[in-house]
Amino acid sequence: MKKLVMSLILSLILVSGVHAASDFIKIGLMAPMTGSWASEGLEMKQVLELLAQKINTSGGLLGKNVEIIVEDDAGDPRTAALAAQRLSTSGIVGVVGTYGSSITEASQSIYDEEGIIQIANGSTAVRLTEKGMKHFFRTCPRDDEQGRVAAQTIQKLGYTNVAILHDNTTYAKGLADETSNHLKTNKINICFFDALTPGERDYSTILTMLKGKKPDVVFFTGYYPEAGLLLRQKRELHWKTPFMGGDATNHPDLIKIAGRDAAEGFRFISAPLPQDLPFRQARTFVSDFKSAYGKMPNSIYALLAGDGFRVLTHAIEKTKSLDKKAISNYLHHQLKSFRGLTGRITFNDKGDRIGDIYSNYMVVVKTSFELQQ
Amino acid sequence: MEQFFLQLTNGLTIGSIYALIALGYTMVYGVLKLINFAHGDLFTTGAYLGFTVLASLALTDHLGQLAGIITLAVMVMIMVGMIGIVLERAAYKPLRQSPRLSAVVSALGASIFIQNAIMLIYGATFFFYPQDILPKFTIGIFGIEIPIMRCIVFMVSIALMTSLYIFIQKTTMGAAIRAAAIDQDAARLMGINVDRVISVVFFVGPALGGAAGLMVGMYYGHINFTMGWVYGLKAFTAAILGGIGNIPGAMLGGLLLGVIESLGAAYISFAWKDALAFCVLILILIFRPTGLLGERVAEKI
Repeated sequence: MKKLVMSLILSLILVSGVHAASDFIKIGLMAPMTGSWASEGLEMKQVLELLAQKINTSGGLLGKNVEIIVEDDAGDPRTAALAAQRLSTSGIVGVVGTYGSSITEASQSIYDEEGIIQIANGSTAVRLTEKGMKHFFRTCPRDDEQGRVAAQTIQKLGYTNVAILHDNTTYAKGLADETSNHLKTNKINICFFDALTPGERDYSTILTMLKGKKPDVVFFTGYYPEAGLLLRQKRELHWKTPFMGGDATNHPDLIKIAGRDAAEGFRFISAPLPQDLPFRQARTFVSDFKSAYGKMPNSIYALLAGDGFRVLTHAIEKTKSLDKKAISNYLHHQLKSFRGLTGRITFNDKGDRIGDIYSNYMVVVKTSFELQQ
Repeated sequence: MEQFFLQLTNGLTIGSIYALIALGYTMVYGVLKLINFAHGDLFTTGAYLGFTVLASLALTDHLGQLAGIITLAVMVMIMVGMIGIVLERAAYKPLRQSPRLSAVVSALGASIFIQNAIMLIYGATFFFYPQDILPKFTIGIFGIEIPIMRCIVFMVSIALMTSLYIFIQKTTMGAAIRAAAIDQDAARLMGINVDRVISVVFFVGPALGGAAGLMVGMYYGHINFTMGWVYGLKAFTAAILGGIGNIPGAMLGGLLLGVIESLGAAYISFAWKDALAFCVLILILIFRPTGLLGERVAEKI
């Protein structure tokens, strides 16, 4: 009798669990909600919640509401692995995120084992899509593409003696390697190649060293907090050599950290900023975002996360199923030129996005980033 | 040669901040034999309180630049010192008779508490000190251009450390602190109010840490709630290097660590900077287990 009661209770719990799950379509977001990239993560959350709200008010997805489940990866690989474990047991179809490549790498195999579709939005390291994972996609371009554009820009600007500085993260090291390979094949001299420790406050030691090498340009492939500090302390040393950055320096806080004067003249390679996107979808979304949150979206990665969410929900709608294999098959082979917020989206067999979305930016106006063709 | 002197000044600036924070670790250890792991977060608190006071009271507009900044620094030091006293009452005093491990766990808990409290109160994003309150020119010493702020950071740290040294060596309270550090029970028998001594230590140490936080915030311009971690770790290392529990040791250890870091980075390998600094620490501890100036054998924490 006792057994019967227990099994009844158990089955009740099970049934109610299944029932609750069938009301919603759950989509995960793994993003840095705390830590030094927290402002990126918070915006990703805002973008996804806005998009989900829009779907839910216009009838939902396959007749159900979409629920976003947010887990914080803190911009840290260890936390990300825990977040991935929690998310993969919470009944999600797919997960959007995350920002840093080393963070994504820590979570990749956890999702892959569960067959959960992961669409990274800021992780550009080449090797993430070279592992043959069937359910991994990304809406951002790869570092080899970015490295090529960076090397091209450096050449176009006529620099012949280049210093390259990274921060030993998967992304920054990858971009530094790619750029340096492209430059070397074009016979441009690399006079310095080393890494700094991210998260510190004082980079005067490395700046003094760099200054001694007398490069034409310094290419820093790390993230915006360090880039801002480098610029700030470079100005203090009265050192005029221009600095360039990769797409992780694309954040308005860079100017605040560096100070307006110190940031002037800093160039970076990046996908366009949200307000510069020429697409109709992007313009509508940016104005929706502004009316919902009272400010413009700052980060292109938040919009790339939005695109991850949009292709995922689009694929669910088209395949009319929550079968993860069917969805990733659709994303790999049938999704062609989807109108994303950041331009047309097509994925290749590896899960990489096809097409060229990089442009060359330069901080010319002291208060905002401006597009340079 | 110019490179060498430039790197030396870089190292001394960084090191003077480490030294200032290391004093907080070493003073508390000296009296209580406890590593106050929350000290790095008190440093962060100083940076945030400075930011708040600066933004809300506009001191530099009312009092002029120099007087404004000095008032700000005094206010921040008093506030962080008060937080230090409250911290001791709440997290360490109830555990004074318990095994030492309990107090260490309590210290780690306090560290997590303060860090997360800052995050919840202020948010996880960066905050920026106003840019225009500090002078930006450089001064030439023997033909080397050094930014004025580096000299100021260095000199303020040295001044604070010197006044602490005088306070410990020349005043009655200082003598009481030294006595309590040697033997608490004997000090109590001599009529010293040990609880008051501990309160003073927990005021002065965090006050210096808070001053360091304010300087880092003003000089480097941006603050976030995790900034105390790196500085706390480095300062703790500096305190061990100089001999924990020993006040001149913490000053020497801090300056030395900064200089080793920047010269090692410049002349051996930049990417191995931290590894080099810790190698030096290990070497020193092999040959002098008590640190450079330490006398007592450092027992396990």
